[in-house]
Amino acid sequence: MRLDQELTCAQVVEIVTAYLEDALGDADRERVEEHLVFCDGCSTYLGQMRETIALTRRLEPEHIPSRLQDELLAAFRGWSPA
Amino acid sequence: MNAYKFLADGAVSPFAGFRWPVGAWVEAGSADVCRLGIHACRIGDLPFWLGPELWEIELDGDVVAHPRKVVAPRGRLVRRVEAWNEAARQDFGASVLSRTRTRFGAVAVLGGYVGDIERHLATGRVPLAAFAAARAAERAGGPIEYERERSRQAAWLADRLSLGTD
Repeated sequence: MRLDQELTCAQVVEIVTAYLEDALGDADRERVEEHLVFCDGCSTYLGQMRETIALTRRLEPEHIPSRLQDELLAAFRGWSPA
Repeated sequence: MNAYKFLADGAVSPFAGFRWPVGAWVEAGSADVCRLGIHACRIGDLPFWLGPELWEIELDGDVVAHPRKVVAPRGRLVRRVEAWNEAARQDFGASVLSRTRTRFGAVAVLGGYVGDIERHLATGRVPLAAFAAARAAERAGGPIEYERERSRQAAWLADRLSLGTD
């Protein structure tokens, strides 16, 4: 893509969730996909995100040890955006 | 209309992950750029979407033209463009490198793109090499030169692969 439309890899990483959730506008979606054509690193990252989502969708609460559940819940409750 | 479509190995859509059947109509229901619809390339669009497999696709219904693509509510793969093979990919990369070296190889800063392209080609990253060539052109002459380099790449593909005109 041209310089005036360029996304850096860091920007792609930032918006990859929005891309996967179909929450980007048309222009930004196209910019991401143009970037993916030539950027192996971001393509790999996107693939990893898709795989992670697919795997976690198959995860049931009972698959998670109770101690780990407690730790995760504590971590989520203590999380705040930087 | 007939157009072209780059796919990943096995006729798989690189973004949607859809495995295309050959010859059967695929219905998308509507043509909404970047969201719904069968996305395909005119010849001039090809350099932006380079991929492992190139297919000719027949589009049907109201085809929506976009600066980088066309979108239709239905389409079917007609044939694989077998000429887009490893040899063609290497030759395409070599043409991009040669043109960039000729135009900018002796130019301060811009000459660095020649080395970049060589490295990309050495690792098989032809789309990145083509992008770098367009970027070098843009650095030299602005956005119009980016588009012109992409047009040169499209013309090379059309000639080498004997693609029909838009």
